[in-house]
Amino acid sequence: MGEGFTPRIVGFLCNWCSYAGADLAGAAKLEIPASLSVIRVMCSGRVDPVLVATALLQGADGVLIAGCHPGDCHYREGNYYARRRFALLKKTLETLGLDTERLMLAWVSASEGQRFGEVANQFAGQIMELGPNPMKTKISL
Amino acid sequence: MTDKKENAPVLVIGAGIAGIEASLLLANSGRKVYLIEKTSYIGGNVIKFEEVFPNMDCATCMIAPKQQELLADENIELLTLSQVEAVSGAAGDFSVKIKQKAGYIDLVNCIGCSACFDPCPVEVDNEFEEGLTKRKAVYIPCAGALPNVPVIDTENCLRFKGQDCQACQEACAFEAIDFNQQDKELELKVGAIVVATGFSMFDINKTSQYGYKKLGGVYSAMEIERICASNGPTQGQITLQSGEAPKSVAIINCVGREEKGYCSSVCCMAALKLCHFLKNKLPELKITQFYSDLCIPGKAYQQFYQKVKESGVDFIRAEVTGVSESAKELAVKYKTDEGKENTLAADMVILNPALEPGADSAKLAGMLNIPQSREGFFSEKEPDLTPVATAQDGIFIAGCAQGPKDIAETIAEAEATAGRILSRSG
Amino acid sequence: MAKRLGVYVCECGTNIADKVDIDKVLAAVSALKDVEVADRYKLLCSGDGQGYLKQSITENGLTHLVVAACSPKQHETTFMKVCEQAGLNPYLFQLVNIREQCAWVTPDGEEATDKAIRQIRAAISRVHYHTALEKKGMECNPDVLVIGGGIAGIKASQILAAPDRKVYLVEKTASLGGKTKRFSKLFVNMESGPGLIAGEIERLQKSKNIEVLTESEAEQILGFLGNFEVKVVSKAEDKEDKEQNFNVGAVVLATGFELFDAKGLPQYGYGTLDDVYTSLDFEEMNLADGPTQGKVLLKNGQPPKSAAIIHCVGRAEKGYCSKVCCLYSFKFDRMLQSQLPGVKIAHFYSDLCIPGKANQKFYEDTRESGVEFVRSAVTEIAGGDKGLTVKYETETGAKGDLAVDMVILLPAMETSSDARKFAEMLNIPQDDKGFLAEEHQLLSPVASAVEGVFVIGCARGPQSIAESIVQAEAAAGKILSALVPGRKLELEVKTSQILESFCTGCKTCIEVCPYGAITFDEDRRISVVNEVLCHGCGNCAAACPSGAARLKHFTFPQIYQELKEVLR
Repeated sequence: MGEGFTPRIVGFLCNWCSYAGADLAGAAKLEIPASLSVIRVMCSGRVDPVLVATALLQGADGVLIAGCHPGDCHYREGNYYARRRFALLKKTLETLGLDTERLMLAWVSASEGQRFGEVANQFAGQIMELGPNPMKTKISL
Repeated sequence: MTDKKENAPVLVIGAGIAGIEASLLLANSGRKVYLIEKTSYIGGNVIKFEEVFPNMDCATCMIAPKQQELLADENIELLTLSQVEAVSGAAGDFSVKIKQKAGYIDLVNCIGCSACFDPCPVEVDNEFEEGLTKRKAVYIPCAGALPNVPVIDTENCLRFKGQDCQACQEACAFEAIDFNQQDKELELKVGAIVVATGFSMFDINKTSQYGYKKLGGVYSAMEIERICASNGPTQGQITLQSGEAPKSVAIINCVGREEKGYCSSVCCMAALKLCHFLKNKLPELKITQFYSDLCIPGKAYQQFYQKVKESGVDFIRAEVTGVSESAKELAVKYKTDEGKENTLAADMVILNPALEPGADSAKLAGMLNIPQSREGFFSEKEPDLTPVATAQDGIFIAGCAQGPKDIAETIAEAEATAGRILSRSG
Repeated sequence: MAKRLGVYVCECGTNIADKVDIDKVLAAVSALKDVEVADRYKLLCSGDGQGYLKQSITENGLTHLVVAACSPKQHETTFMKVCEQAGLNPYLFQLVNIREQCAWVTPDGEEATDKAIRQIRAAISRVHYHTALEKKGMECNPDVLVIGGGIAGIKASQILAAPDRKVYLVEKTASLGGKTKRFSKLFVNMESGPGLIAGEIERLQKSKNIEVLTESEAEQILGFLGNFEVKVVSKAEDKEDKEQNFNVGAVVLATGFELFDAKGLPQYGYGTLDDVYTSLDFEEMNLADGPTQGKVLLKNGQPPKSAAIIHCVGRAEKGYCSKVCCLYSFKFDRMLQSQLPGVKIAHFYSDLCIPGKANQKFYEDTRESGVEFVRSAVTEIAGGDKGLTVKYETETGAKGDLAVDMVILLPAMETSSDARKFAEMLNIPQDDKGFLAEEHQLLSPVASAVEGVFVIGCARGPQSIAESIVQAEAAAGKILSALVPGRKLELEVKTSQILESFCTGCKTCIEVCPYGAITFDEDRRISVVNEVLCHGCGNCAAACPSGAARLKHFTFPQIYQELKEVLR
């Protein structure tokens, strides 16, 4: 699978840790899959499950949420909420029989440029394996 | 008190976490702050740590917002590559002569793209990485350093050795490399001075029994901090020279304590942090700590110790008398309080040294006319009552410049200097 | 008014231009809705570049701006300032990071160009939905309430008080000075505690701007940073209760410590055996106005010939090291030796905790004076006709006995019983040891989780006097920096708001706000955001089931626009 497939992946990155980590990956000139488009949010706690679901319905082949490591949240506890919402969302998608492997939650700190590169590439690889998001064709808004 | 005194600018010496915190508070109140830093970057020693005890916070993540706030603050004038040359005057009206070394990079034109590094033909040890990696003669100390501006090291740059090299200049698309820059002398008028010059590590080369720099596998704690760091020389991979991960590690505490004559307060916790970190990365790793007294003051520290202990770290109360090489491993010889001698085999040894005053403390103390303690740290006016004031009115001290301490205490002292300076109660 | 968008792509020298085909980008975006100008520039962050941008905004009468350049961490504020200078609201601007997160990480030029186009289209769509946001300020009260009249509270009051800043110092007991005034000597310089406190009280009384309220307690504190309403009730024994109400901008809690109750560990014989004392009992005994007029005496009136000092009493139970006990125990050695030449003293301890530059010498001098240090756990203090026996066990399991006349226990320090009261009143978390918790253990050690409320001294953990004073000065520093008389408190611009018509009053947002910034308006039955406290994380917006909570500048429509374009 994956022949001629150019995935579209959305990454919701928190401003303080993960976005800075992604910048650091840039400064180190690491290769990040062009299929990943980053949307900056102030905190991973801002990432509403509805946003993620919307992304999938709009045809995103993968959605990455990245925030500060547990305990490091700039807003005290936003990432804990992100984690809970993510778990709940996965459960919901599972119940609906949808692919939960299209979602990923990762902790990337402001000093982890290398790690951001690894996360991005691993996730993009995973999405390549999964192939196109079937919802893209089934549902149109 | 005159109005001038109350609103006079403040000089902060040292842009580690203490200097940053003091500057931010003073600037936020409306004061003009000159923050001078002898290196090219801000953040001091703390940004060398991947994680800090006891909550294993990511140090960079913790400090980055403050660094950015500082760089954006219009009340703060940051002078990197700068040192104090002379001080005169009195509280409310100091005159300070500053020497700012030329970095040979035009700050306005440089965009921090790092295109100048690769073509530089020089390679020298990177001090920021404890010499574990090489850097060029034009460089930034580590990825993510702020301000994101390189500097030319004139001691190693070929051009400053009389050769006609302009590799970096040719590589720069912005004409940001300016070999004609000159060192600058500045005269600052300030009402108060905060000394936040931090600490150095005891030079382990002064000891011989531990085989430091002689035996492979013997590291200083700071070297291990960098090796553990995801933006460090090995991207956080912990390996021996053989390229393999270590199977057993001995941590030797209180290195240099006897020579220095004091307990450095934070080393036990720093060692426990390293245990926690190493165990996380290498769960099978066997760790042994050699110590004499466990000094873990503070409400949250004992819990951390217990967690580390429960993760399978051995603690041996003994004096390490020597480290030697035996076959493929290192042999750590030790003697317990009861006089029993024994040897432990390990393939990595981490030496945890004392903290000492920064190298330039004596010179600075002379210029500021403030006393130093027996141990070389700056002295408080009255140790109990005025812990951040000095014998000189208008000159304050914060952080490890005053004595070894942890991050929380350092930040509190920095905030306290701001309290003293902004206070109008006399 | 029709929208007029400007889109500018920075070449960043060669950094972007080398990878991204900027002409292709411009061709792809210039025909998009409302795009008035689409242009490239060599280096937009340079002085010339900013000048060009400013001029272009004005000349083209732009209403919205998109700049594609480097990371917002680098130059978002630079371009926001340009907007301001050009008379454009800086929130009607969006920066696209096509350097760090596109040109630098995408080796293939075509892919990089495609990605840049997607990202810029997303920003163009997004900026259509931006609204102008204004900086707001709020009047604030610079006065301060300090609770607790020990050394920390006294020092904080002294530093804060000024002609334009009144300080209310509220003390529960009849006199100021806390525990310190009961320490006849202080380590390491052996100065007098009562003397030190007398000097500080004198300084305090000289200030016209400090109102000391003794025998008083804060009964209610409502409000937030810059605006707290306080009710203090004075309950002097011989007078009628007096209630006082006033407003302050900040609150400093300096409620001090108490000792772990050694009676809880019967093996030490405290309360059952004669001549077993706690450290505070021993301090009392050494005071000129104490029960023995400052003389160290046994119950039988005789001076002791020997004493045992037991460290870490209650440490295992409490789960932390109290930091200062080792040091003050050396002070006890000197107090005993100066009164009772030839007295034999033995310390029973496990680890010596003597951090700091000057303290090892203090210890070494103690040791050289002949004091014995026994690294052992004390298993029992036994009474008898001839005095007390300390039974101990070394780390290697060897057992021993030592006969002494007097035993001094060094119990762990606990937070005072008032901590809970104020934690509940002000909604400040306590840590698992009961101490009042810091906003951030390392970065913000004297602030609490509630903005405008500070915690200093032993209320937040065992501290030395010097540390308590540092923290008093630190809290003062934070307050003096934030609450400047006559200056408005600058508020976060990108705060959350709750749309009245959408709010169902379910209170979910109140639960998830990490700053306690949302309250419930009982009259209107809706949640309300306090913009002073909101930090703009957006957690409420993510949690709100009805879409009433919205984070300004990161609203659902704004993010949605970005999303749909990057997925195109």
